[in-house]
Amino acid sequence: MATEKTDVVIVGVGAAGGILAAELGKAGMKVIGLERGPRLTTQDFNPHDELRYFQRQDLRPNIKRQPITWRPKADARANPMPVQNYGNQAGGGTVHYGAVSWRFHEDDFRARSQTIERYGASAIPADSSLADWPMSYADLEPYYDRAEYDLGVSGKAGNLEGRKVAGGNVFEAPRRREFPLPPLLVDQTGVVFDAATKKLGYHPFSTPRAILSEAYKGRPGCTYCGFCQAFGCHIGAKSSILVTALPEADATGNFKLVTGAMCYRVNSDNSGRVTGVAYYGPDGSDNTIEAELVILTPFIYDNTRLLLLSKTEIFPNGLANSSGEVGKHLMAHMMPNVYVAFDDRHMNNYMGPSAQKHTIDDFNADNFDHAGLGFIRGSQISVGTGNLQGGPISLTTTMPPPGTPRWGATYRDFLAKYYARHAAMVAQTENLPYVDQTIDLDPNVRDAWGLPAPRLTYDWRRPTELARVEFMMKKMEEIGRAMGATHVWRAPLGPGAPGAHHEGGTRMGSDPKTSVVNRYGQSWDVPNLFVIGSSTFPSMSGFNPTLTIQALAYMSADAIVNRYKKSPGPLL
Amino acid sequence: MSKYDEARRAFLIGAAVGAGAVAGKGLVADAFAQTHPQHGPAEAPATTAHAHGPGHGAFLNDDDAATVAAFAERLMPGAPGKPGARDAGVLNYIDLALSGAYADQQDFYRRGLAALDAYCRKTHNATFVRLAAAQQDEVITALEQGKAGGFTWPSAQAFFNTVRTHTMEGMFADPLYGGNKDFAGWRLIGFPGAQPAFSSEDMQSKDAFTRAPIIGLQAQAPIRRG
Repeated sequence: MATEKTDVVIVGVGAAGGILAAELGKAGMKVIGLERGPRLTTQDFNPHDELRYFQRQDLRPNIKRQPITWRPKADARANPMPVQNYGNQAGGGTVHYGAVSWRFHEDDFRARSQTIERYGASAIPADSSLADWPMSYADLEPYYDRAEYDLGVSGKAGNLEGRKVAGGNVFEAPRRREFPLPPLLVDQTGVVFDAATKKLGYHPFSTPRAILSEAYKGRPGCTYCGFCQAFGCHIGAKSSILVTALPEADATGNFKLVTGAMCYRVNSDNSGRVTGVAYYGPDGSDNTIEAELVILTPFIYDNTRLLLLSKTEIFPNGLANSSGEVGKHLMAHMMPNVYVAFDDRHMNNYMGPSAQKHTIDDFNADNFDHAGLGFIRGSQISVGTGNLQGGPISLTTTMPPPGTPRWGATYRDFLAKYYARHAAMVAQTENLPYVDQTIDLDPNVRDAWGLPAPRLTYDWRRPTELARVEFMMKKMEEIGRAMGATHVWRAPLGPGAPGAHHEGGTRMGSDPKTSVVNRYGQSWDVPNLFVIGSSTFPSMSGFNPTLTIQALAYMSADAIVNRYKKSPGPLL
Repeated sequence: MSKYDEARRAFLIGAAVGAGAVAGKGLVADAFAQTHPQHGPAEAPATTAHAHGPGHGAFLNDDDAATVAAFAERLMPGAPGKPGARDAGVLNYIDLALSGAYADQQDFYRRGLAALDAYCRKTHNATFVRLAAAQQDEVITALEQGKAGGFTWPSAQAFFNTVRTHTMEGMFADPLYGGNKDFAGWRLIGFPGAQPAFSSEDMQSKDAFTRAPIIGLQAQAPIRRG
């Protein structure tokens, strides 16, 4: 058993933890990062192999060693989920993600107020815990800008300081300047999507992505090989934490990364302060780190799990949980898909970055009138590949058009004809928070370290969520027909289990009685404990969360370096 | 086919210098090379995957191998100009996977195959491999729909879904894993493999991509060493 002392310990070195390691290290703070998985390098991602990375999920958590259980409701049995989509290595999910990098809309930060002002309080489902963020878009804008320029994001502005710019996303919140890099090249799915959505009066654009369209900061531009979502980038053109923040953290000389480290408790003393963490090393050793500041930045399940596992006499309901809110308001994007296939042209959608290539934002957030629709909020609608990955195995995991069987000569001929002639649209619907959608400790299932597995209680199939999904399905079918596709068909919806991009569990707010952390991710109960990531989102938006996680990390780092470091204590 | 000769040469060179060139895949590839020499340069008849013939030997016994090969062939049947499961070596893929990455599913297959033959005997008085293609399709449909009796664990649907998934993997995973022989699956559907780059012109094209040879893992390995 080893004991080390440091200024800061960061648990989970992914989208948020990597940025915090670099920024705090630059400020002269001694930082130790604990990472459950390995630290891979760019050369580890060559060669590309769909079976290994997509189908067998090589960059994801091993579900047998690290089970997560799910049940649709509190009186149902929880079973381990078959697939996990988050990352399991230094850099976290940014290593294998599709690199879609959105700024949230202004009204995403005040969804509750916006809804009440426009439609009345009754428009919010009575059982939803929808809440405003304890900050505005304007508060976060400088840090979105920082993230885009530090990390490298490609796109085209649609709203420069309030001036709408054609060709970009005209629904985006105002930005102070252009993207650091021009948009990525368009492929055929983007070409037909743009033409169809323009014909329908919508506003398509190239999805902003943390993938370099040109050389930037010593890294090369994308070669459009197509092995993107589910894969690590073999040339480092994807702006993952592995090739951006981690080298910066290394360069400070103040950062040490411990891989294979499973943190199982945050230690605290009788004064109510945290004193560090305990973790199992890769050799099974039981180790302690004593730190002035503890920052939790793993995937959302482990924030809740660690706080619940760290209960003491002073914190009987779990650390930082005097509000009783830890583990509540779990959210996830549902991903309804509509497929299109063409007789008269190829799409070759295995080319180019594979996730959400071009997008319309017309039906996201409160960008459209919801009166009479039976739901609030919305979804981005994007075109690209099914499963966000364009290889052939990926297509075989999806349903062919109605009337085409999943096997036999007809299916063989379907694959032969349409593999290179199909595309998929996806709507990432914003699902509302509910107090009974939760993460807690599974009493029956344990992981490879003997710790109780995180247990999710969640079922998205509520009336307002179903109405939103159905609306988006119809929009995507409308777009598919406007494309002139020979076949347009829906993918079947899954069971009620959470989809992608999980949020919630350690909600931020402005009231210590109803939230776990403040806007900086600082625990209301324990001022030297921070929780930073999508677990703090009070609402989720219809956009992918990563750039917002990263902007929050820059904002918290700024507050820690410029305020907390000089005067440790509550920032608010 | 000639446009793919270069890729095939690269594939063969990669195979000849030994699978150890591909880090992390050495064991799979070694087993592949030692147990399945028929997947070398010579065009071995792909339809001979049967008892004592090529196509299995790592895990499946002769009877089970014949059943898996017949089942997979109904899921992805071959036809002139349209390679199917036998042509692609799906049996070889599944056999290697069950002796390696999917070793935890050995009993799933043993029990599933036993239940399949029990069901076929009961309904058709013969084992699966002895049924006519149309009868085999009837049986597979009953499995897919969960209507085939006698299955406990795995369930009929679970068994169907798993064999289907593994058949698709054997058709479309890289040839390094023992299926997709000579890129049969990728040729069938027009997938060019792991191309290092696509140009703006490639992405502007509405036509099939034929500019470059198919690139598999064995061809990528020398690029990486260089």
